Parts: sequence; structure tokens; C-alpha cells
Amino acid sequence: MEEQRQQPMVIEPRSWETTGYWGPTDSEQHPAVRLVRERFPEAFEEATVFRDEMTIRVARLALRDVVDFLRLHPELRYNHLTDITAVDLLSLRERPRFDVVVHLYSIPRRQRLRVKCGVDDGEMVPSLVPIFAGANWLERECYDMFGIVFEGHPDLRRILLPEDWDEGHPLRKDYPLRGYRDYVQPGYEAPAPRIRGTLRRPGP
Amino acid sequence: MIDFSQPTPVILSEVRQITPTRRELVLNMGPQHPSTHGVLRVRLTLEGETVIACDPVIGYLHRGVEKLGESHRYAQFVPWTDRTDYVAAPSNNLGYVLAVEKLCGIQAPERAQYWRMIMAELTRIASHLVWLGTHALDIGALSVSLYTFRDRERILDIFEKFCGARLTTNMMEIGGFSREIPPDLPEMVREFCRYFPKAIRQYEDLLTENPIWLARTKGVGVIEPDAAINYGLTGACLRGSGVNYDVRKAMPYLLYDRVEFEVPLGTHGDVYDRYLVRIEEMRQSLRIIEQCLDQVPNDGPLMAYESPYVIPPHKTVMTTAEDMQRHFIWVIKGFSPPKGEVYHSVEHSKGELGYYIVSDGSPIPYRVRIRTPDFVNLQSLPYMAQGAMLADIVALIGSIDIVLGSVDR
Repeated sequence: MEEQRQQPMVIEPRSWETTGYWGPTDSEQHPAVRLVRERFPEAFEEATVFRDEMTIRVARLALRDVVDFLRLHPELRYNHLTDITAVDLLSLRERPRFDVVVHLYSIPRRQRLRVKCGVDDGEMVPSLVPIFAGANWLERECYDMFGIVFEGHPDLRRILLPEDWDEGHPLRKDYPLRGYRDYVQPGYEAPAPRIRGTLRRPGP
Repeated sequence: MIDFSQPTPVILSEVRQITPTRRELVLNMGPQHPSTHGVLRVRLTLEGETVIACDPVIGYLHRGVEKLGESHRYAQFVPWTDRTDYVAAPSNNLGYVLAVEKLCGIQAPERAQYWRMIMAELTRIASHLVWLGTHALDIGALSVSLYTFRDRERILDIFEKFCGARLTTNMMEIGGFSREIPPDLPEMVREFCRYFPKAIRQYEDLLTENPIWLARTKGVGVIEPDAAINYGLTGACLRGSGVNYDVRKAMPYLLYDRVEFEVPLGTHGDVYDRYLVRIEEMRQSLRIIEQCLDQVPNDGPLMAYESPYVIPPHKTVMTTAEDMQRHFIWVIKGFSPPKGEVYHSVEHSKGELGYYIVSDGSPIPYRVRIRTPDFVNLQSLPYMAQGAMLADIVALIGSIDIVLGSVDR
């Protein structure tokens, strides 16, 4: 028992590796990476693989063109927009601050792909609404939670928070977990005491 | 600055005179409305009884689950996933747990995977039963809800037997199950499998050829396959339009490649087809459960204890010093997965439920994104509602199958 635990773990092939769900794990052989690099030599930045998930990073202003290319190219046909979200990388890198993460899926080819672009505070990302109608609420949520502005979005306003919310964007890393303001319960005079304070992030 | 002590004035309705002969009525449906399945508010613009525009307003149940995910340790977040879609809690647990397991590179033992499949499929049936009962109730078939909730009770009894909880189950754990399966549980599930086909026939007798049901659902809320894909729909909303996309077939997570089942597809993409698809999905779930019960080994490990990311077994914690230390660190500090990002999706009863987790190597996830199916599905409501009648909105909201805890997170 003790000896087994000392050895490095051998990871056997998992179901997600054998089905080829994310395509070839070698970025040279992946058709999406090859074709995007050929078509957008300047906008293409890098292709990374973690746990067999292929991620393509492109320049911010080319995001819509790249996604449209991926959607329409007969070899790729990533026709299903699964998700648009963002990550605030405030403590992990200098600039740009955010990553906009787009998950695409190809229903005919049964393959998934992740496309990313970096965006800084105050910069705009081309909206995907002209391509995918389903991007509408996902981008609104991104704007609501991170304050990322999507250029060309028809109706960019808050979605989950009230429309007159004036305390910023809660999924940013500098937004405190319990908000900026103490909430006084109706019937009480003082806000509830902050027992635990803010949770400190332990190091790795 | 919002003053919470004062009630916010809400304009309930407003009449606009567009031309001397045409009038528009702006009407608020919800957030406190019995057929919006929670706190959904829909701003409708009507001309007579025809819907001209429709704007769903959501967020009344927003609790910031994603923000909470960034401030809890990996194992602490599992109970929060129950609270997103509270009528199908085990499926939510499953999606998160599988994403964390993929991040850590561990896999649950075979027996645990079979039991996860059984519980996920039972959840699908339970969720569809809630949907069927409330959907029929909205349209006016009152008695169906009595039957569906009667049968859902049996599934909740199985959940209670399995993990002690009925609604917010907190059932799945990272690495498998740490509790042994109760010895009489397989028989309980088999008993349910013997009983349930008769119950489905009962619902179908009440609804499938009922002329009122047909009049209220056929040809209502049609969404074409191209539009359904363009809107990013998943689940029965997409399959009702005839697009064959089921995560269980496209990427067989767990052991779905070892069981036989079919993906039911609709042809017209209307409310009635979505109803038929979900009824058939319940039958297919029963098939999967029966095959799992035949294939599942009777004994064997339920937890991937050999992995350093998994809580050590209770027995050795009590007897060996190393495991006691590991257990202490696991509970106090948590475990630290490698740096990276994963996206893992499961076929939830409402569609594709995806968890996107970014790890910076610390015991707390850097970002937890929950891609809930009903949030994406709900935004097709304005498209489906074009030209519909006011009463159809109720049928449409029911057929999209939303749970506001999952839409708002």
C-alpha cells in the first residue's frame, strides 16, 4: 500500500481520450489549428493542449472572423456555440487582464474546440451575435459579470443583476465576495457582523 | 444606490396608442406567476392577444454561485451544485465531479461509474416527471401532476435510501462514492423499473391523443433545426427539431458506450414534439438503468482511493498515521490539482450541462463556469413566441423546461 502510493501515478486512457472528442492532441495534426494558422497567420497566436483539450488563442480583433471561418469551413463546421465566458487573470499575468473563452462544437463532426482571446480593461471584443444568435445572452452575462464590452452587440445591458446596479462587476477578482456594501436586513438597524471576513487565498 | 427598505415601483402594464386604430399593451408576466416555473418575468408586448415582442427578464434568483465557486475548496463546492438545478441535483453533482476528476486525472472505479449512471438516469426521469406535471398543469390538464408526483416520490425514496437526502442530495463525491451501496437498493431500483412503464402508459393515455392537449401543443412554438443550432439549444429542445446531438452519444462519459439506448428525435420542432421526445427519453433511461443493474459488479471498490486527490478511507484514517495526516490536510487545506483548464459536459435532463474549471494550482478553483442548459435554451423564447397567442407563452415556457435556480445561478 505504502509503496504503491510513492510511485508516480500512471494515468490510463480515459473515455475522453479514446473518443477523440477534442480532435488530435498534436496541434500540428489538428485540422482547425492548421487551417486557422494558414488563413489568419497574423491573428493566430498559439495552440495549447491540456488533458487533450485543444485551445486556440487568437488576436482580439480577429475573434469574430476566426469563429466565422471555423463555422463555415467545410472541413471544420463548428456550427454550435456552446458557451462564451471570461476569466479575470488579475493575479496570474500582467496584461491583458481578461480572457474571453469561446467553446465551439461541431455537431456533424462531433468535435469540440476552445477559442480564446485576451482583452484588457476598456477594450472591446467583436460580438459574435451576427454569427450565432445564441451569443446574445452569453455576451450580456459576460458584460454583466466582468464589464467586457462586445462591439456590435444589439442590446448590451445587464442580465442577471438589476439594471441599475452601480457597484461594478462581481466576477472580477478585485470585487469582494460579500460586496462593497453591508446589507441591512429589514427590521434591523445594523448590518450583520462580518464573522469570517474575506477569505484569503492560500498559495499553491 | 438601491434602497432595499423601500419597495421598487414596477410598472405593471402600459397601453401605447401606435396609430388611431392600433393599440399595444405592454404586460408583465411574472415574476410572481404560477406558470413561470419560479421567478421568471416576461415583458410581453401584445396587440390584442397576439404577442408582438417578448423579453424574458431573469436574475431574480441570482445568488452568485460562480463567485462562490471561486471562494470554496474543490470538494466544498459540490453541495452548491445541488442548488443550481434543484430538481435534478445528482446530475449537477455529476457534471462538476467529472470536471474536477478530469482536471486531476483520476477516474472512479467501474462499480461507482455504474451507480453514477443509474443515479443520473433516475434523476433524468425525476426531472422529466416534474416537467411533465407542471407543464400539463400550466396548459390545463390538472390530473397529470398528481400521477407524476406520485411516481417521482418513488425515485426520491431511492435517493433517500442511497444518500439520506431527497432533494439537494450532495450525492457524488470526487473519486466515486465513499459510502457503501445499501444491500437492498438494487432490488428497490428493479422494482421501480418493473413499475414505471405502466406509469408512462398512464400519462400517455391522459395526454398523447387528448384533443385539447393536441390543440394546445401541435404547431405551437416551432423552431427549425437551423435556428435551433444557431441559438445554441441543447437537450430535448434541439432534438425535438430533429437534430441528433446527445452528449451521452457524442462523448460517452462514464460507461455510456457499454449500454444500448436510442436518442429520440422529433420532426416538427413544436411543443408537442418536445413532449414526445421527453416521454421517450424516460423509456430509454429505464433501458439504461436495467442494463446497468445487469452489468454492475456486486462488490468492488467504490472510490479511487489510490489517488492523492481523494479523501482517504475512513478505516485506514483510524488505524494508520499517514492516512490520518493526509485526511487532516485534505479536510483543512484541501487538495491542489495541477494548473490548467478543463471543460466537461454531461447530458443533463434539460440539455448540455458544462463545467469549465480553471485551476491555478491552489486548493481553490480560480474560476468555475457553469454552462447551464436552460439559460441558453430560454433565450430562444422570443424567437418561438413570434406571432403566438398570449396563452401559448405558458405552453412555451413549459416546453423549454426551465428551472430558475439553474437559469440565474
